[in-house]
Amino acid sequence: MAIRIALAGNPNCGKTTLFNLLTGTHQYVGNWPGVTVEKKEGKLKKHTDVKVTDLPGIYSLSPYTPEEVVARNYLTEEKPEVILNIVDGSHIERNLYLTTQLLELGIPVVVAVNMMDIVRKSGDKIKTAELSKLLGCPVVEISALKNQGTDKAIEECMKAAEGAKPVPQHTFSGPVEHAIAHIEEAVLHDRPEQQQRWYAIKLFERDEKIIEKLGISEETLKHIEEDIKKAETEMDDDAESIITNARYEYIGTLMKKCYHKKNSKALTVSDKIDKVVTNRILALPIFVIVMFLVYSLVMMPVPMPWGDSLGTIMTDWANDGVFGDEGWYLFGIGQGDYDTAMDEYAEKNIWTNEFKADIDKAVKADALGAEDISGAIEDGSFSDFDEAYGTYSSSLEEYFTENNIEYTFTDIYDEATGEDAQELPEKASYGVFVKSIPALLEPAFENAPSWLHGLVFDGIIGGVGAVLGFVPQMLLLFLFLAFLEGCGYMARIAFVLDRVFRRFGLSGKSFIPMLVGSGCGVPGIMASRTIESQRDRRMTIMTTTFIPCGAKMPIIALLTAALFGGAWWVAPSAYFLGVAAIIISGIMLKKTKMFAGDPAPFVMELPAYHLPTVGSILRSMWERGWSFIKKAGTIILISSVLIWLGNTLGWNDGVFGYYEEFGDDGLSILNAIGNAICWIFAPLGFGEATATVATIMGLVAKEEVVGVFGVLDFKGLAPLAGYSFLAFNLLCAPCFAAIGAIKREMNSAKWTLFAVGYQCIFAYATALMIYQFGLLFTGSVNIIGLIAAILVLGIICFMVFRPTPKSHKLKASTA
Amino acid sequence: MMPLSLADMGEEKIIMKVGGSPEVRKHLETLGFVSGCPVSIVNTFGGNIIVNIKDTRVAVSRGMAQKIMLSD
Repeated sequence: MAIRIALAGNPNCGKTTLFNLLTGTHQYVGNWPGVTVEKKEGKLKKHTDVKVTDLPGIYSLSPYTPEEVVARNYLTEEKPEVILNIVDGSHIERNLYLTTQLLELGIPVVVAVNMMDIVRKSGDKIKTAELSKLLGCPVVEISALKNQGTDKAIEECMKAAEGAKPVPQHTFSGPVEHAIAHIEEAVLHDRPEQQQRWYAIKLFERDEKIIEKLGISEETLKHIEEDIKKAETEMDDDAESIITNARYEYIGTLMKKCYHKKNSKALTVSDKIDKVVTNRILALPIFVIVMFLVYSLVMMPVPMPWGDSLGTIMTDWANDGVFGDEGWYLFGIGQGDYDTAMDEYAEKNIWTNEFKADIDKAVKADALGAEDISGAIEDGSFSDFDEAYGTYSSSLEEYFTENNIEYTFTDIYDEATGEDAQELPEKASYGVFVKSIPALLEPAFENAPSWLHGLVFDGIIGGVGAVLGFVPQMLLLFLFLAFLEGCGYMARIAFVLDRVFRRFGLSGKSFIPMLVGSGCGVPGIMASRTIESQRDRRMTIMTTTFIPCGAKMPIIALLTAALFGGAWWVAPSAYFLGVAAIIISGIMLKKTKMFAGDPAPFVMELPAYHLPTVGSILRSMWERGWSFIKKAGTIILISSVLIWLGNTLGWNDGVFGYYEEFGDDGLSILNAIGNAICWIFAPLGFGEATATVATIMGLVAKEEVVGVFGVLDFKGLAPLAGYSFLAFNLLCAPCFAAIGAIKREMNSAKWTLFAVGYQCIFAYATALMIYQFGLLFTGSVNIIGLIAAILVLGIICFMVFRPTPKSHKLKASTA
Repeated sequence: MMPLSLADMGEEKIIMKVGGSPEVRKHLETLGFVSGCPVSIVNTFGGNIIVNIKDTRVAVSRGMAQKIMLSD
């Protein structure tokens, strides 16, 4: 029989574990319409005609969070055949609160007491047979983690779906029952009988969403209100609290009859861990150590004393191997042999005396990059040499031409590494060599027209590959996050950091999006979903991308090398800039109308510490990773094709068309746009076409900025203008993929526009101040620019230091 | 009556009243903070408090803890 089972339960009750167990791979993830609450559906592994819907984890069916509204709308409108209510046996009293509400819906309920293995181990006793009799619904014991009793639970669900509708066994006190009976009679007589009680109780609680939904007239409302008021006076409490208290009282009587707790006073293991982990003095150091470990393993952009971080190695492999020009060695087999062969070959054929003489000349003249190249030659390492040569050869060439010095080094290099070179070691003949995606596709496009070749290799593979290159590193990060989440530490991080983040209008839970965002903004923004308060979530989404992401690293690295002689402070200053931007934005925005009011108070359940299963960690990693791939993949595909078109279509000698290269008088569409709007950036110090084009390209993927620019073009920029350019590109609108993620999470075009607009304006203001105030030190002050910068600084100071406007405060506290 | 924020660590007290905005109070109630229910403080951190209520651990901010009144 085709039936639908809805899984309902508290957060952390093991619902998701059970869902995965029941459905295996037959599941799909989507969103509930209109809200960013995840919707998971699947089919039973053993009965594919049974559909299972995983409702969001909720504590009650009240109308206060989107999760609760989604869950109860589904239950009352879609009317699944049966509800499987998962109850955490180790926290049974609190968990049964939801059960009492579910039983009123007029849908058969099966209660599955989960974590029975833990309950038994601790010596506690739950008399499930007795509980079943008292609740008036089947109760089964299960352990989702150990896959015990789940078949029985499903069996009961199938039976219950066909059986009679349940009758709630709990009743409220006399005056309340009286009022409920009146309400049923007055407004609900035309509703299906089994739903009447649920609606009546909700109307008694003055649930606005239900009143609206049932379309009750003012007159009837007044009539009902009399009944409610009477009950309230008699009970000396407000209606909602009367019901809540009655539910807990009822659960209390259940507990007395069915539950036996061995000892309640002793501290649990989890409590003992908390004494250390959330200790007044130790909490922050422990947090810093954990984060440092994760960060140094996954993201560290600079090599540590013990080598590159695992994440960097994986990204290098993906970018240079899988999406590189040639390919990679499987498990590195053959890499060593090839390197040795190449070193020997280079010694003989490339690093000839003439070659070295040229480089020496350049070193003496202090030409950019010459030192790096000469250093690699001395070390005899071809791979280092090749990297340095690839980066700096064109700038060396320019140095020689400018100074009218004859040189031969490029010819030597080209001849020795060109196709006609004799004895050049071939990568594929060493070890186990796997061809990269471009190398695999190359033969297929050998005879293709050049535009098609360009579209596929430069447009599609180049653009999409640049983003997918981050996937391995992201998966590694998600793996760690899944573990920290699964074991319960993540909730403690939010708790410990809450007081810090509170000060600038964010929540303790904002930290995770920012940590993820230092890898990639797209999953970072998606991670903001765990923040319940809409205001905190919006603020987090808006500020997360201020943290330099992995794709911004190349920009920082390049500028550091080209304009600041590799100064150590540039990269940390970028992070500092990001953090400062978050703090200042937080404080400023908190005082605006949109974000006004006291922050939502921090109330959060801390799940007991436990070792998560490998399966659940891997699944969580993959779910996050896959949605990153999907999102980044599609948006980047479209935008990289567009950018490719902008780069290759244009005018050469006044004729419009497709060109592989543009002459001195030629102009690509992208450059034309750059020329047209570059004046915007003049006050920031980089009002020229290349920098503008680079900034536009940054919208596709931030590392594209480097691609457009190349080392050479920086020569036109003074270090100050370069830093201003860096600051602008770090803080302005993120790439299209991240903007797409903002749109999805904000779930509103207006808010997306506001977020992106704010980021751009903030970036512009910051870069303006850096450039104009910086000019003071170089002695070439621009009066108008300086006045503008002082004005901007003044406005920001005002926004930061002004007292919170009173009218906003009042409005928020009554809301 | 005394607020939860002033209670000593480890001592079990009974909740008398939960204050604050209706929204937050409702949320606390669904988490088990109802009058008559015993609570004890497991740990504190910078004014934020972890309590043991109905065998679960719930973290509440200092502001919230001031609005949860306990028996003496």
